[in-house]
Amino acid sequence: MEVTLELSRLRTSYGPFDFGPVDLTVDDEVLAVLGPSGSGKTTLLSLIAGITSPDSGTIRLGGRELAGVPLEDRNVGMVFQEGALFPHMTARENVAYAATTSGRVDELAALLELTDVLDRKPPTLSGGERQRVALARTLATDPDVLLLDEPLSSLDAPIRKRLRDELHGLFESLDIPVLCVTHDQRTAMALGDRIAIVRDGNLEQIGSPSTVLTRPTSRFVARFTGTENLLEGTVTDRTADGARVRFGDVQLQTTASAVSQSAVTACIHPARVELETSHVADGDRAANVVTGTVARWLNEGSEYRIDIAVEAGPFTLTATVRPPTFERLGLADGTEIRVLIPPESIHLIPTVEQSA
Amino acid sequence: MPDHSSRTRSTALRLDWLTVALILGGVLLVYYLAPMVSLFLSVPMGEVVSRMGEPSVVNAASTSMLSASITTVLATVFGLPLAYWLARAETAMTNVVLAIVVLPLILPPTVGGVVLLTVFGPTAVVGGAAVAAGVPLTRSLPGVVLAQTFVASPFVVVTAKAAFEAVDPTLEYASRSLGKGRWTTARRVTLPLAGPGVLAGMTLVFARAMGEFGATMMMAYYPRTMPVQIWVSFISLGLDNAYPVAILLVVIAVVALAVLNTIASNPWK
Repeated sequence: MEVTLELSRLRTSYGPFDFGPVDLTVDDEVLAVLGPSGSGKTTLLSLIAGITSPDSGTIRLGGRELAGVPLEDRNVGMVFQEGALFPHMTARENVAYAATTSGRVDELAALLELTDVLDRKPPTLSGGERQRVALARTLATDPDVLLLDEPLSSLDAPIRKRLRDELHGLFESLDIPVLCVTHDQRTAMALGDRIAIVRDGNLEQIGSPSTVLTRPTSRFVARFTGTENLLEGTVTDRTADGARVRFGDVQLQTTASAVSQSAVTACIHPARVELETSHVADGDRAANVVTGTVARWLNEGSEYRIDIAVEAGPFTLTATVRPPTFERLGLADGTEIRVLIPPESIHLIPTVEQSA
Repeated sequence: MPDHSSRTRSTALRLDWLTVALILGGVLLVYYLAPMVSLFLSVPMGEVVSRMGEPSVVNAASTSMLSASITTVLATVFGLPLAYWLARAETAMTNVVLAIVVLPLILPPTVGGVVLLTVFGPTAVVGGAAVAAGVPLTRSLPGVVLAQTFVASPFVVVTAKAAFEAVDPTLEYASRSLGKGRWTTARRVTLPLAGPGVLAGMTLVFARAMGEFGATMMMAYYPRTMPVQIWVSFISLGLDNAYPVAILLVVIAVVALAVLNTIASNPWK
C-alpha cells in the first residue's frame, strides 16, 4: 500500500504573512523541510494536519481530499514541537490515549525504548524521552502520513545526535510519507531522502541532500546550506570543459556548461576549498590555484574555519579544514597559502536581483 | 548579609519596611477577625446548637442548600461553554461578552432583583405565563434560583475562562490529531487540566449563592433562604435570634474557603 501526499496550489495567509502557492508531492520517503524561523515550515505542517485552513488549493492523501476535513478525521500523525504530551497523564496513558489496544502501547514502548519510563508523567521525563513518547503516541494511531515539527530542536547536542540516528532508522521502517520540519541543516541532511528549502512561505528548492548542498538554485539556498563563498563574477569564455569566470583579476575554470547569462554567482562550499603551503605544490593539478594570506581562523571543534584574503582578488574565501590539515600546514594569521578550488566544486547560478 | 557594625544600631531601630506594611494592614485584619470571634463568643454554644433544630432554621438551611446547589449546577452547565468560548474565540466580541458577564457582579443585587422582576414578575410576560402554567417564578424556589443564578453565575464563567486559557491549545490539537473528536478532547484533556479552576469557580458560585440576599428578597421573600431568615429574625425578634443562622453561614463560608485552598485552585492566590 503506497500512500502519497499531494499538495496542489496550496495557499493561506494570516496577517501580513502569505504562504504559498505550494505544490509538493511526497511519496514513501522522508522529506526534510528546512528553513529559517518564520519561513512557513510550521504553517505547512499545520495545513496538512488541519490546524490551519487553506485559502485555496488541495491537499490529497492517498487520493483522499483533506482540505475541509476536521483534523480528527484526517489520519494525519503530527508530532508537535516539544511533544505536546498531556501533562495529567503518564507516558503510558499518553500513548494508550491514541492506541486501540494495550499490546500496541507495549510494542511501541519497546520500539522506542520507553518501557522504563511508561509510568512517569511528562514533567519528569527528559527532553529526549518526551519526544519519543510523543512519537509513540502519534504512531499508535497508525497514521497515513507522519509530520514532525522540530523534533530535535529542544534537545542537548549528544541526545540530539542519538535521537537523530534512531529517527533515521525508524523512518526507514515506516512505509508512509514523513515530513520533518527543522531549521537545522545537519538534521535535514541526516534525515531527509529529499530536502525542501522553504523561504517566505514558498518552496525555494527541493531535491536530494547532495543536490541541495552542491547545486543550490539561489544564493538563499546556498547560504542556508552552509555555502559561504558566494562570488559575483562574469563569464568570459565557454569551452567544452565548462565556463571560465572572472572575479576581479582572478579567473576560475568551472565545469559548468549551459551557462546562458554572463553575470553569475559562484557558489563554493568551504569544505571543497583545499589549502596547501605556498612552497609545496603537490595538490590537484587540474584545480584552480590562487594565492592568499590567512586573515582569520576559528577553531570550531571538529574543524577549523579559515578566512583567506585572496591576493589578486578583492574578495575573501572561507575554507574549512580538519584539525590534522590545519596543524600540518602550520596555519596562523598572515600565513601565505595556496588555495585550490577544483573546477567541479564551483557551482554557478545566474546573478539576479535576489538578496540573501 | 554584609556586616556593617556601624549600621547595626540603626538597623535594629529602624523597622523593617514589610513589617510596617503588615502592622498597618493588620488594622484591617483585626477588623475582619474580631467580629467573627465576637459572634461566636456572643452566644452560649449549647443554646445556639439547640436552636439549630428549630423549623425556621432547618427550613431556611434546606432552602438555601437546595437552591444554591441547583444554581451551581445551572451556572456550570451554561457557564462552562461560555467560558470556553471566551477563552478560545479570537474576536473583539469577547470583550463585549465579558463585560456583559461581569455586569451582574457589579450591579447592586437589589437592582438585579428589580430587573429580574421586569421579566419574571407575575405581571410580566414570562412571569405571567409561568404563573398560568402553575410554576410561579416569584415567591418560589425557582424564584430563589433565578435570583441566585443572576448574581452568582458570573463567578464560574470568569474563573473557568482563566482556567481554560491556561490550557495550551496545542494539547487540544494534539488530541484531535490523534483521532479524538472535540467532545472527547474536552472531556479527557481540556476539562481535567482546567478542573481545579472550574471547581474553584463552582465553589465561588455556591458560596455567593448561599449568601445572596438583595435580589432574592425582591424575587422570593418566601421560601426563606438563610440570609432572608437572618433578616426576618433580626427585624422581628432582635439580633440574638439571628445568631444561629449567621453562625451556620460563617461555617459554610469557611468550608468553601477550605475547598478553594485544597482541591480547587484559588483564583486569588
